[in-house]
Amino acid sequence: MYDISHFLLSWTGQSWLVTLVGYILTTTMILVVGPVGMMLFTWIERRGIGLMQDRKGPNRVGPFGLLQPISEAIKTMTKEDITPVGADRWVHFLAPVVMMASTVLAFAVIPLGKLYPSQINVGVLFIIGVSALHTLGMLMAGWGSNNKFALLGGMRAAAQMISYEIPQVMSLVVIVMWVGSMRVADVINHQSNGGLNLNWHIFTPVGALAALVFFISSLAEGERTPFDIPEADSEIVAGYMTEYSGMKFAVFYLANYMTNLAICAVTTAMFLGGGNGPGTSIPYLGGLLAIIYLIIKVVLLFWFMVVIRATVPRLRVDQLMSFAWKFLLPLALFNIFAMGVWIAITQWGADKGFGFLNSLVGQPGSVARTLTAFAVTLVLNAIAVLGALALYRGRTRSYLAQQVTAA
Amino acid sequence: MSVVPASTSTALDLPQEGVVVVRRNDSRIRAGQGMVSGMLRVVAHFGASLVKVQNSKQDTMGIFTVQYPEERLLLPEASRQMPILLYEDKSGQELCTSCFQCERVCPPQVIHITQAKDPTTGKPVPAAEEFIIEYDTCMSCGYCAEVCPFDAIKMDHVYELATPNHISMDVHKRGLNRPISYYDMIAPTLWGQVRDQALKKLQNNVKRRSGNIGVAPQMQGKVGKATAAAAPRAANGGSTAPVAAKAPAAAAGKSMSADKLARLQAIRAAKAGGVVATVAEDEPTVVQAEAVTPETSTAAAVTASGPVAAIGKNMSPEKVARLEAIRAGNSAKHGG
Repeated sequence: MYDISHFLLSWTGQSWLVTLVGYILTTTMILVVGPVGMMLFTWIERRGIGLMQDRKGPNRVGPFGLLQPISEAIKTMTKEDITPVGADRWVHFLAPVVMMASTVLAFAVIPLGKLYPSQINVGVLFIIGVSALHTLGMLMAGWGSNNKFALLGGMRAAAQMISYEIPQVMSLVVIVMWVGSMRVADVINHQSNGGLNLNWHIFTPVGALAALVFFISSLAEGERTPFDIPEADSEIVAGYMTEYSGMKFAVFYLANYMTNLAICAVTTAMFLGGGNGPGTSIPYLGGLLAIIYLIIKVVLLFWFMVVIRATVPRLRVDQLMSFAWKFLLPLALFNIFAMGVWIAITQWGADKGFGFLNSLVGQPGSVARTLTAFAVTLVLNAIAVLGALALYRGRTRSYLAQQVTAA
Repeated sequence: MSVVPASTSTALDLPQEGVVVVRRNDSRIRAGQGMVSGMLRVVAHFGASLVKVQNSKQDTMGIFTVQYPEERLLLPEASRQMPILLYEDKSGQELCTSCFQCERVCPPQVIHITQAKDPTTGKPVPAAEEFIIEYDTCMSCGYCAEVCPFDAIKMDHVYELATPNHISMDVHKRGLNRPISYYDMIAPTLWGQVRDQALKKLQNNVKRRSGNIGVAPQMQGKVGKATAAAAPRAANGGSTAPVAAKAPAAAAGKSMSADKLARLQAIRAAKAGGVVATVAEDEPTVVQAEAVTPETSTAAAVTASGPVAAIGKNMSPEKVARLEAIRAGNSAKHGG
């Protein structure tokens, strides 16, 4: 965005034109990237899961079935829009709007390569905030539909989202600690060193654990299998979407896939270097490369989500809750401690009382300090993960034993 | 008592891969290895589906989709869909001798046969005049094909029979006839087993047929020998339909409508040894007047030929025409 506006300013000398073009581009990015990405994602998901299950997937509309989302959009738009008898009309109507709005808002701070739609200084907080609105939409849909399955789905959604937001936020705290800023652009720039630009956060033990916890929590946030209990179709019809048809259903569908797109983009920005990669430091070509890298990373992440969906069965509600509170949250909390250790070893010198490290491994910011921090946090996090697994498994086993003796 | 190993006790030993042994009460700590191996399995399927297609029952990798309207699985030779009749490719001679075995054995009784008669002698000929199968009620049991001593009726492999036109499911001989080469194509082994005896029986039957009798409708006119044989026979008998129809029609008078004339002509033609069943369908008055007792349900086609045969024996053509004219007049008066 900076490149473009700089070019326009030097070419025309008109600042108002730069502003106008900037706003138009920003709005277009926010409103177009999501739906277009959603169309691509539905295609990837359906073709991908088809191939994983030894099928072909949709391949009739357009080349390789790429135009399938368009035909489905036409279908849903021409269908009847039904509001059930006894429904809370306004809540029922507003639920998809709230869902959609929260999802589109998230795209305001998600960068597309080196193009930043909006550079607010609390970008990370903003993402967390608007994704919490998502939950409100589901709860509204569940409440407003006058349907027991919808209400169950809405309640499940609320419980799940609230539980999984905590480890999600805790894992982002690590990044904020490390970068020292909540601006998304700063997080991405923190992962480029002007060379190969491969010093992504995920390549450190702390970042890797944070990425794992964040991604698992995000799966729950985006209602992806194995955390799709709010719309568990084999249990409660379609969950909170049960009473929705036609265009409103399509909006829910759109919002879901746009949320997944946002999750993939945020994970990429926070842990996978955003658009950073080899060659992105080159002035103009780098901008193009960054967009390509970002798209590749996002698509691969989503493909990984599809693999998970094709592999793992749905969790039970109690398993879901205990996994969030007893496994992910302790790990995320411990990871904050590990990040403290990392920062202390890499950055703190004599002024903070860590002068003894200067003589042991070297000055703050040196390679030796980084390597030491890497080793120490690796050991810490390995112990944490194995310990958490052992404890979690032990609890599960004792719970099972109780059930067996009771029966 | 010896302990039999579990592996030898299985009756069916399919060469399948990827057998997963689940060990319960396994106290080892597992950091998601099971999930990871499952994901690798899924990814392997993804990769295999990109490059290959499953080609056997034991093959578990690759796409198994058959894109139905464009692609079809080859049906087994003995697959039974709907019955068809066979005729010899070159001469057009049908293998069916109207022995009524299939009509008798048919559980839902949907086969209706009319035996062909020699036009000059009026005696039955080993060939089918008309052969109707109600495909809508046929249950594809294949008894007719099994019981047929002449291998004339076989089970087809065509299964796309859906139609908005219900009456088209009553398939007549023209619709049932298929050349032997067609059946040889869909079931080469089965036809190879019966080929020689079937053709030998056909040879014997053809000797007892005359003219176009026994020639598949779609092959009539295309077969040189059959038409050549029919011509002198027609000249000899002197009663081909158009010639016989002229004089009586004139005698019947000018008061008759064209419609009645047409019916008259049709009846005469039928009497002369032509088509029977279609006339009977067009002439409900004849069937009613002759008061034919409906003896058996399967005899519907046979009774249709009954009245005309009865008329032919007792009355001259002029009398028949007059009688017919009177009846037609009566039915018109009664507002029919």
